[in-house]
Amino acid sequence: MIEFLGEVADWFGDPVNWQGIDGIPNRLWEHFQMTMFSMVIAAVIAILPAIVLAHKKIGGVFVVAVVNIGRAVPSFAIVAIALPISIRLGLGLGFWPTLLALVFLAVPPMFSNTYAGVSGVDAALVEAGRGMGLTEYQTMFRIEVPVAMPVIVAGARIATVQVIATATLGALVAWGGLGRYIIDGFATQNAPEVFAGGILVALMAIGAETLFSLYERTTYSARLRRRSVGTADEGIVVVESVPH
Amino acid sequence: MIELRDVTKTFPGTDSPAVHRLNLTINKGEIVVLVGPSGCGKTTTLRMINRLVEPTSGSIVVGGTDINDLAGHELRRGIGYVIQQIGLFPHRTVRQNIATVPSLLGWDDTRISERIDELVDIVDIDTELLDRYPSELSGGQRQRIGVARALAADPTVLLMDEPFGAVDPIVRARLQEGLLTLQQRLQKTIVLVTHDIDEAILLGDRVAILNVGGHLEQYDTPAEILRSPANDFVADFLGSDRGIKRLSLIPISDIPLDVGPVVSFDASRAEVDRVMAEFGIDWIAIGSSGRLDGWVLASEIPASGKVSDATLRPFETRLDISDDLKQALDAVVSSHTSVAAVFDGEHYLGMLTMETISREIIQ
Amino acid sequence: MTVFAQSASGIFQWSWVQRNLDAIWDRTLEHVYLTAVAIGVGFVISLGLSLVALRWRRAYQPITLVTGLLYTIPSLALFAFLVPVTGLSVLTAEIGLVSYTLLILIRNMVTGINEIPSDVIESADGMGYTRSRRFWEIEVPLAMPVIITGIRIATVTVIGLVTVTSLIGLGGLGFFILRGLQTFSSPIGTTQIIVGTALSVFLAVAADLSLSGIQRLLTPWASRKEAK
Repeated sequence: MIEFLGEVADWFGDPVNWQGIDGIPNRLWEHFQMTMFSMVIAAVIAILPAIVLAHKKIGGVFVVAVVNIGRAVPSFAIVAIALPISIRLGLGLGFWPTLLALVFLAVPPMFSNTYAGVSGVDAALVEAGRGMGLTEYQTMFRIEVPVAMPVIVAGARIATVQVIATATLGALVAWGGLGRYIIDGFATQNAPEVFAGGILVALMAIGAETLFSLYERTTYSARLRRRSVGTADEGIVVVESVPH
Repeated sequence: MIELRDVTKTFPGTDSPAVHRLNLTINKGEIVVLVGPSGCGKTTTLRMINRLVEPTSGSIVVGGTDINDLAGHELRRGIGYVIQQIGLFPHRTVRQNIATVPSLLGWDDTRISERIDELVDIVDIDTELLDRYPSELSGGQRQRIGVARALAADPTVLLMDEPFGAVDPIVRARLQEGLLTLQQRLQKTIVLVTHDIDEAILLGDRVAILNVGGHLEQYDTPAEILRSPANDFVADFLGSDRGIKRLSLIPISDIPLDVGPVVSFDASRAEVDRVMAEFGIDWIAIGSSGRLDGWVLASEIPASGKVSDATLRPFETRLDISDDLKQALDAVVSSHTSVAAVFDGEHYLGMLTMETISREIIQ
Repeated sequence: MTVFAQSASGIFQWSWVQRNLDAIWDRTLEHVYLTAVAIGVGFVISLGLSLVALRWRRAYQPITLVTGLLYTIPSLALFAFLVPVTGLSVLTAEIGLVSYTLLILIRNMVTGINEIPSDVIESADGMGYTRSRRFWEIEVPLAMPVIITGIRIATVTVIGLVTVTSLIGLGGLGFFILRGLQTFSSPIGTTQIIVGTALSVFLAVAADLSLSGIQRLLTPWASRKEAK
């Protein structure tokens, strides 16, 4: 075992692994970029409709369905399906199917958390706002969204970690990213590379989770945050986190 | 029956004791109410009796046995316990809830079933509720089930912690009455905690007034406490309407009644004037022995002098011989005639005035 | 049927399905087996850790921290760590899968018990329940809805993750998804992806509904409302 860890350390020590397309900096950057792109696109798709629907108090059943479907369909399957779709759209392999799959993956938790967060805002606050003469738009963005922020950010955290994780499978559709080390390592039976890839991916995921958590802890009071952590039950699910 | 000897409780992490050297004796078959402001240790004291809270020092003896001689859970299976939110087990039916302690004690099914039938009668439970779950019951129903559950194993002692606090006043009054009726039948030894002095006076055979830190300020019958409060604290706690509260404890049947200014329909003007002058009033009541028909205003008696020609007004408030003086006072204060007419059914017994009423509490 | 299959033969070849029913069945069984073992073992471990966390409150945070960490590590990375040590085996797969169930199961078990109203606990004590009887007769039954919900979520999650084990030689229905991915340009490829995905989803939904039904059976009291 110790011997093996030594081999892993050697892998990290080898300067070859730090250069070029297959070098750690590049793969890290690819992975990071892909995560950012998919998160931004997913946010644009998911957040605004969720806010509006929650504000108008419609679509509850829809949200539950979205969450349950999102949970029932394996992320692996989503990546696999994205490939033929991407081909048929003329977008080819690699980047686009991966992006497609990741956006698809990130939308449900962001959508449902945003919805749950806005729905969960104390009706009295909204009432008070209306009473003061705020327009619907102002009520949404000056009262509901700020109060729902901890839950929305938690949704972003969950989605981000899931995206980082699933992006590793992008290697299977000819994309790059950190998953490359694991997949290629399996193929060439290069155990230290596989392990090293695992470490890099794990660190990135844990890093993202930690950064988000720290941000949440410092920005939002404990009482607000308590609403964002819940055991899922029959109704609207505040998605705690989804593994990948 | 229950003796608290020098009982003290100091919670860890606090400086001053919640209960300080309390000495209290509760006799068999009586209802003792512990009452006082927040922080007076009344609930803590109650919970020490069944060892949900362990005393820091001092001893408690129940029915001759020191409570420390038994295991905690054994002790509690022999003492009934009712709390404000009741705490019925949501996952069990009403029947199963009531059967809790008998089951823990190992009673066989037949015995439990018979006992439940008894309790349904004693506590007046709708049998339809027995197979429902607590979530299907109203607040008042839940309270009654809670009491039935506490009485299921027929304990000699019943502890109640603000049992009627969580329901609305109308239901509460009914439940309080229900408890008194129950007690008449069962003669349990009951220790009840409340923050409501009126409830204490209503329910308690004796009332213990506690001050912050578990200090016993006065321990006596409600009538005695109201008559002579031990100190300013007690007087304040009783409230500024202490005199009127005392009246609610005195039944009308305890005091002699005057027939009052009653004349018959065919009474002469002279007689009417004589009676009015004697009583110093501007009206006269009409009736005969055992009957009261109403009253008329002197100013409405016509020149002819015939009382029967005046408008006969009814006595709006009729008191029953079983009512108390506080109700009589209310009638006196709210009528033009300033009297309360007392009846036994339809039979007229006499009248009460402000003087006769206040005479009872001035002594 | 044949006409439909022909027109859709671009992406779905029913004939492939007919030819491979045995393989499909075997893989489905493998999928169910891997899931069942993971949930079973996960449940037992979680039960143990939950009892510890309930007995020693201070243990809860470290337990949550570790299981949370395991949960955050992407499955592929976790398998990447395990394969060099335990090889391409069912053990590797199970260690990985079990790790993902722990956080959810423990958290739901502990929260389920802690969320029981205090007046119910107080009245149980007042009636003379011993601590252990109280735990098994009052607390556990009342925590059931939350616990079973945790099991439901964990089960659906594991069913999804089993597909990833195809990369280490197992996969259950994920086997077809992987194969499909490798031959994506042919209709057989897409057929396999579709079959693998559809059946996975079916298993997940079936498991969720069955557990939901079991939940309702075990907790008749939870669905009654105030009649009055």
